[in-house]
Amino acid sequence: MASKTHSVSIWDWPVRITHWSFVLLLPAMYLTADNSEWGWHMRLGHVLLALLIFRVIWGFIGTETARFGSFVKGPVSVWKYLRGRQEHHIGHNPLGALAVLALLGLTFAQVAMGLFAGDPFDGATGPLNPLVGVGTADTITDTHEWFYYVVFGMVLLHITAISIYAGAKLQNLVGPMVVGKGEVAEGVKGNSETPLRNLVIAVVISVGIAVWVYLGAPGLG
Amino acid sequence: MKSIHLFAATPLIALLAACGGEATSGDGAETPEGPPPAEIAERQDNYEAIGDAFKLIREELETDTPDMAAIQGAAGDINTRLQRVPDLFPEGSSMEAGYDTEALAVIWEDPDGFAEATQNAIAASEEMVAAAATGDPAAVGEQVGNLGLNGCKACHDKFRVDDD
Repeated sequence: MASKTHSVSIWDWPVRITHWSFVLLLPAMYLTADNSEWGWHMRLGHVLLALLIFRVIWGFIGTETARFGSFVKGPVSVWKYLRGRQEHHIGHNPLGALAVLALLGLTFAQVAMGLFAGDPFDGATGPLNPLVGVGTADTITDTHEWFYYVVFGMVLLHITAISIYAGAKLQNLVGPMVVGKGEVAEGVKGNSETPLRNLVIAVVISVGIAVWVYLGAPGLG
Repeated sequence: MKSIHLFAATPLIALLAACGGEATSGDGAETPEGPPPAEIAERQDNYEAIGDAFKLIREELETDTPDMAAIQGAAGDINTRLQRVPDLFPEGSSMEAGYDTEALAVIWEDPDGFAEATQNAIAASEEMVAAAATGDPAAVGEQVGNLGLNGCKACHDKFRVDDD
């Protein structure tokens, strides 16, 4: 019996906008740094900060497939998945979940370092630089200057994995991330509705924190 | 180093192509023929060392018992190195000329201004040397702002590629 499929929603639009913003912003961060466009580097860095915070909050109060609780599984699930014994469900597979955590975590680490990087007498300085000592800031700056290799290495791994899925015709992962919908087996349910009130909460908190940091985190230190 | 850059940027090549640009340093001018003037690397090393010495002074001041001998050594080093600056900027070794440097052409368009900024830095470093010689961390602390703002930053703001 040929398996029937039907089209369901998989990714909500906040997840998609956040994802494709990362795709644009990571190269932009590299290019602005490489061309000494520090004003833009720092402004875009704060946009990236807001998006990262938003994605983390959305991972708790967003739609079903956006929630960490729905896709972050233990090593047993990853092992089962790799052995081909997967359950039918929508959203990140156990391996993709690891990529999400790594991409968000590494990018957040890089952005956080940037906030403390620099030297007030020597060019661009992150807004939180005064909160740490000169030596600490120097170490953070040096690390920030090579850590993008780690971030882009992870991006490369992510893209490679997606290409393998596409090349081996295992699954079209890019399509649903663009349009939000995808074909799934009959009987598999789609994503939950986007909770608008939670969306407003997540946007307000993430933008609020990013602006507060941009202003040098007044009240801290 | 350049090849590693390109490797790291592999996922971005499509995007870069779409932008119609390429990730060159500087402002996209053609790289001139022949090797870059040796002074570019010399002055970069010189400024790196000045920055390190200045950080050493500031780090010591953050400790409970600043090492005054180390501060005096660093202050002297900054002064010596700043005096080399006028010899390290041969005509045409600017970012605009296509070299991998942050030195702006305005250095040669406004030679008096650049000479003055350099002299201000040297003068500030002399005050730092004098403050370090007193052995009083507070006196050194006062000179950090003077040297950092009137020496380093004032010159960077005008003669080095835009920061912000």
